[in-house]
Amino acid sequence: MLNYIWISLVAIAIITAVGSDINDELQNSYRNGVPMNATFQVAESPSGAAQTWEGEIDIPGEVFDQFYGIQTQKTDVRQQVTFAAAPNQRGTLLIPISDASPRLWQRMAASAATKDRLMANVVAVSFSPDSLRAQLRFVVEPIKFVRLKAVSQAALDFASTAVQISIGLIGIMALWLGLMKIAEEAGFITILTRILAPVTRRLFPEIPSDHPAVGAMIMNIAANMLGLNNAATPLGLKAMEELDKLNPKKGTATNAMVTFLAINTGGLVLIPATAIAVRAAAGSSNPGIIIGTSIVGASCATVAGVVAAKVLQRLPRYRKDPEAGRG
Amino acid sequence: MVEFLKDIINLVAIIAIPAIFLIVVGWGLFKKVKVYEVFVEGAKEGFDTAVRIIPYLVAMLFAIGVFRASGAMDVLASVLSPLTNLIGMPPDALPMAFLRPLSGSGSLGLMTEIMKAHGPDSFTGVLVSTMYGSSETTFYVLAVYFGAVQIKNARHAVPAGLIADFFGMLGALFICRILFRP
Repeated sequence: MLNYIWISLVAIAIITAVGSDINDELQNSYRNGVPMNATFQVAESPSGAAQTWEGEIDIPGEVFDQFYGIQTQKTDVRQQVTFAAAPNQRGTLLIPISDASPRLWQRMAASAATKDRLMANVVAVSFSPDSLRAQLRFVVEPIKFVRLKAVSQAALDFASTAVQISIGLIGIMALWLGLMKIAEEAGFITILTRILAPVTRRLFPEIPSDHPAVGAMIMNIAANMLGLNNAATPLGLKAMEELDKLNPKKGTATNAMVTFLAINTGGLVLIPATAIAVRAAAGSSNPGIIIGTSIVGASCATVAGVVAAKVLQRLPRYRKDPEAGRG
Repeated sequence: MVEFLKDIINLVAIIAIPAIFLIVVGWGLFKKVKVYEVFVEGAKEGFDTAVRIIPYLVAMLFAIGVFRASGAMDVLASVLSPLTNLIGMPPDALPMAFLRPLSGSGSLGLMTEIMKAHGPDSFTGVLVSTMYGSSETTFYVLAVYFGAVQIKNARHAVPAGLIADFFGMLGALFICRILFRP
């Protein structure tokens, strides 16, 4: 199943990217080679022999939208540019792209030769008598294969993100595993597992209720519910390692592992702190209003996950529980 | 009552970590455990586990990253929008349902974006934040937890996780429609 999901994600991504790039090419969505008009304004004309103007170009929103055949740029485009004049009314225009630039230009710059700016060839200039205003006609550098470039970039970026996440886990892992070991040696975990045995025995019938895995799973679920994500992951991994000790067929998940994972993916949290923080930052009058609804949603997820795990493990296709020795 | 409960839970979240440290180490001392030595011994495993996860996480995040960058999510959402209209899900909330199990940071960004566009207290705003709080990032959990013990055959873990997500999203929609429907 994981194989299919993995290959579908990658295949769908590449097919969609190729399709949308071909579509862009046919429609010429980025108007490669088509000249655009703008008013150019400078505060002062360059001194001496220098032929470089720093100024602002101005394109009315509806003109921009019409040019690119979109409806998203509703406000007028005012953009800082550098114009280097050349003989015969030509020159180059350097458009530095920032967050204030039109969204479309931002997307185009992301796949241009240099990431943070667009280059354009000026094909006609006509200056006003005082040299402070000009009508420019320019062609932006050709933009091609936007999606495919984005896909390649994402592949590299996310590969290094994965390593960063894992390396970042080392310290927290060590801290919580060290603490967990003390708790184990001191017999703390044994007491905890004994209290919760009636529940855990039902959820994980294959695991002896005094096994260290049970303690780690309880600690993980408790940490999750309190929203202590930093503690929950190390404890969850510890639980998986303990569960794996009971796994006679390494490399294949046991029923207990799947059930435990289903509880974790349900993500039952008493206080969804991240969502509340984002709501508060967005100016909500009552950021905490989602506490109740989130608990309902997450409970649905958790119950559905556990029931699904228990039902699916009986299906013939998944019925190869290594623990039960059915092979 | 709700406020009071919220305060208590907030307080618990703040004191939980110091309290756990104190109780565990204190109990260990009381039981005459050599706390420092035992701690170091346990902590040693941390490195191996974290390093073991790397290939699994790279494989998973690579596929998800590529999928998101391709814009396939928008295509999928527009294909499925007639279906979601039937169950009363706002079209803007639909990508959230797909992204939540795939990417934690992605769905966080999406939630922020939707709230900026619709306002945090609009129906869509409340719904997406509830959706965010109603599930974990299934594929991340899957990669990390199974990666730690080198599980390659996940058996029914993927369908079980996705069923959990599906019902989580449905539950979020259901409760939000009952309580906050405009």
